[in-house]
Amino acid sequence: MNLKISALEYVQEVQNGNISAEDFVSKTLEHIQTVDDKLHAFLSVNEKAIEQARLIDKKIKSGDKVGACFGMPISIKDNLCIKDNLTTCASKMLEHFVAPYDATVITKLKQQDAIFVGKANLDEFAMGLSTEFSAFGPSKNPWNTEYVPGGSSGGSAVSVSAFECVASLGSDTGGSVRNPASFCSVVGYKPTYGLISRYGLISYANSIEQIGPLTRTVKDSAFMLNLISGLDTNDNTTIDNKNEDYLSGIDSGIEGKKIGIITEMIGDGVDPSVLSATKDAISKLESLGATCEEISIDMIKYSVASYYTITATEAGSNLARYDNLRYGYEFPVEGYEFNSYISKARQKFGPEVTRRMIIGGFVPSAGHAGKYFLKAMKVKSKLTKEINEAFKKFDLLIAPTVPILPFKIGEKINDPVSLFLIDINTVTANLTGKPAVSIPYAISNGLPIGIQLFANSNQDKLLLQAAYALEQTVKLPEVPI
Amino acid sequence: MVTEEEITHVSKLMKIDVDDHAEYIDKVQAMINYFDILDSAGVESEEISMQEIPISNLREDEYVPFDEKLIEKLNNYKGTYVRAPKMS
Repeated sequence: MNLKISALEYVQEVQNGNISAEDFVSKTLEHIQTVDDKLHAFLSVNEKAIEQARLIDKKIKSGDKVGACFGMPISIKDNLCIKDNLTTCASKMLEHFVAPYDATVITKLKQQDAIFVGKANLDEFAMGLSTEFSAFGPSKNPWNTEYVPGGSSGGSAVSVSAFECVASLGSDTGGSVRNPASFCSVVGYKPTYGLISRYGLISYANSIEQIGPLTRTVKDSAFMLNLISGLDTNDNTTIDNKNEDYLSGIDSGIEGKKIGIITEMIGDGVDPSVLSATKDAISKLESLGATCEEISIDMIKYSVASYYTITATEAGSNLARYDNLRYGYEFPVEGYEFNSYISKARQKFGPEVTRRMIIGGFVPSAGHAGKYFLKAMKVKSKLTKEINEAFKKFDLLIAPTVPILPFKIGEKINDPVSLFLIDINTVTANLTGKPAVSIPYAISNGLPIGIQLFANSNQDKLLLQAAYALEQTVKLPEVPI
Repeated sequence: MVTEEEITHVSKLMKIDVDDHAEYIDKVQAMINYFDILDSAGVESEEISMQEIPISNLREDEYVPFDEKLIEKLNNYKGTYVRAPKMS
């Protein structure tokens, strides 16, 4: 049984009767058993997966209507609610929280007969970019287990990269899908703001976060997008994409397209191997008929500070609900005064979440909002204007996904500001609501490098076409697991 | 520059105990100090753009029945009430 096939190949194989969902899912679970002690992609595994696969095989055999996934094993970042399943956000605060309802993306995937093999590890409450802030221990990069897999959707990226599932869903607030995709050599897609409903995604920074797929191929991301995008009455930020088919015409090519190279994302602090991979990608795109030229976007220098100010503010507000009264962990209220109980209960939050909540209280507070929060919002507005201006001239923008190569576990954990700066190339898409994708492009000293493409809002189809074109120029070695 | 007192004060309002000085004061201070870069962005005259959603786009404000008793999923409840510690 070849577990290394893409999502679309899986569907084809099951449709043709070459493999059964049950066989594939049970082999996948065996594989998870074998490798996940080492990689720690999962926080929990679905014990009922084989049984569910068997039911789908039965439907196929009896000629009933079967959903587009045909029992495809998918992993789900553990900040997305699956009814009656643990949803921990990799936090001690929610260690025993069982979700009472399904997220909209889960409902949609269930309707399409996907099977959720397990909940994937993340930085606690999706705050981080290495999974080192998971309260249950970091995931390991399958390319070299001494290195971080990126984050915060690190478990999702590892599970796809190491063949522990066929595809995964993550969430991207400042690069949390694209960063681990780049570090683990998989495709990571952050859609236009509003394309995918966030109902059932545990909130971190609502004004900019999006759910996105992590897959082995660009086509698989388009396939997933077809299944999970669209209007949802439970998330009024969703946009009507008129049931766009992102797969059709994905091989249209990029001849005649104009691509802007973002100067601020290839400057100081970019690793030489990342820079040379980016230049190589640019020349490949040119050889496919695109024209590339540099463009400077001044506000990018301030984007990381703006991003952390805004997200911490929203997190401070969103995480106020964790007072351990309605849900949380076992900690009786008897003998405590109201405020001291809540302060004590909230000590279960890990250090990074706690820091960001403090910042989130500070930057919008009376006397400080003008210096921090309002300025951050103004930077966001001006950055959006500059990016919109860039898209008048260019169809797409390009930059490395992450300016550096994956780093060693523990190497940067004590320097929060240097961790901030790793987000410099990814936060712009979130602050401006634009779609962006990381495409596996090169391996340097055994560690992956991803290239990022951006498009204008609602140009997801064009973006996937360009990503597909670039992907076709690359042949990468297989992950050494 | 942010002072230690300012951080401690906000933490108290956020109901957060900052017992570990190095983790919660020093690092938070470094993080907030980095935000000083915003002062050089020159955006004082910039308007903050807002996302407007017309009321007609909101779903109807109506009762949607839930198929289970949600209260039974709570950690601390008595009858139909959430149980909370005493207010002093």
